[in-house]
Amino acid sequence: MSARVAVLQFPGVNCESESVRALERVGLTPEVFRWTRPATELRDFDAYVLPGGFSYQDRVRAGALAAKDPLLDALSEESERGKPVLGICNGAQVLVEAGLVPDRDRIELALARNRMSGRSGYYARWVYARVETSDCVFTRTLAPGTVLPMPVAHGEGRFTSGTAGRMERLLADGQAPLRYVSAAGETAESFPDNPNGAAFAIAGVCNRRGNVLAMMPHPERAQDLGGLARSIGGPWAERRDAALATGDLAAAGPGLELFVGLARHLAER
Amino acid sequence: MVGRGVRERVVQAWVELRSEDPEALSAAAVAGRRLEAARGLTGLRRLRLFEMRGPLPARRSVEALLHRSIQFYNPHKERCWVRAVGRDPIPARPGEVAILVGDSGDERRPSAERWWQHQTGERIEVREGIAWLASFAPDGEPKTRAAELALVRDRHHGLLCNPHAQWHRIATGAVPLPWFETTEGSER
Repeated sequence: MSARVAVLQFPGVNCESESVRALERVGLTPEVFRWTRPATELRDFDAYVLPGGFSYQDRVRAGALAAKDPLLDALSEESERGKPVLGICNGAQVLVEAGLVPDRDRIELALARNRMSGRSGYYARWVYARVETSDCVFTRTLAPGTVLPMPVAHGEGRFTSGTAGRMERLLADGQAPLRYVSAAGETAESFPDNPNGAAFAIAGVCNRRGNVLAMMPHPERAQDLGGLARSIGGPWAERRDAALATGDLAAAGPGLELFVGLARHLAER
Repeated sequence: MVGRGVRERVVQAWVELRSEDPEALSAAAVAGRRLEAARGLTGLRRLRLFEMRGPLPARRSVEALLHRSIQFYNPHKERCWVRAVGRDPIPARPGEVAILVGDSGDERRPSAERWWQHQTGERIEVREGIAWLASFAPDGEPKTRAAELALVRDRHHGLLCNPHAQWHRIATGAVPLPWFETTEGSER
């Protein structure tokens, strides 16, 4: 049997089905794991995905209440054993609020309200994320500089830290494996290429070991080539247009690459 | 236009749901089950606090403007208390500690400011934060407990304020007016 992946669902999480499908497509065995199950049962899995949505209706702060759940204590322990954990959007907010990134347990970051010129609140758009040099297990199979178009959809997605120099250190230490870029692949300096005002255009943060990744773009929503926005250009657009011409709308899209990275990592154990 | 009685001042509007606030219920439940700092927490209320600074009319006119704008509150579902001078009370019950949480650098509400200008012709500043009113069992120092409940340090400590994107202030007695701009009780 292939590696088992728990897809954690807190009340309000709504991207579990797409995440399950992406994991199945890369040969893994996913299972939706609801918050009502005992945390000890998480030990039986090889990897974990925290999908997007609005856990506990974003009460207090996005991710803040789910972060206090005993499941996060169990996840922290399993991540210490080297098991991979991927948090997408609200899942990323939970990991940040629980302190699983960038270092175990201490809260060193926040995913703050979006800062966008001329607007405020929730924002959804296709963006480009560039793979940076990193030991992150989800991006390790991708060459640095690879650009992945993916959608974002959030109101609180701005990676920031109140500790001076902390964000710079994440970059220097290879703990920022994904950064927002323009269509040409240049680091996004401003809105809308940087869709939330994230410090240094950071779109994803991993722990030092590289097995826990919190990312704001949605790779599971970019798993089908046919689903790529018509606004997307570059090499992925050429593949999309070819897929549309042949009717193969479900051909592997850019977001699937991160799940491929997970599957390869689990196969190499 | 409002015109008469307009003068430069600061006014607070405290807004609370008429029904029980689900966010406060969840916060209290999670804190009570998971956080040591919440031992002795006997009640937690959540209010939205607006602070308006600028050429403002008298209290009654402010109340009327707030009442008819969807930028501030929904009078069908929420109550609003206007505090125009420092001696005006806040809607706290005896023994409740007030904890103000703001989003660092994102306290201003441009859409509310635009609405106000459209209605009155006056440019004012509007800031918004969350005011939590916490009550604790009498065995302990309420301000210390409130601080522990507020400030997030790790998964097991703190809930209401992530200091990497927010700030908080605590008032056990009189709440300052203005409160957003004062440094009294400020912590990160």
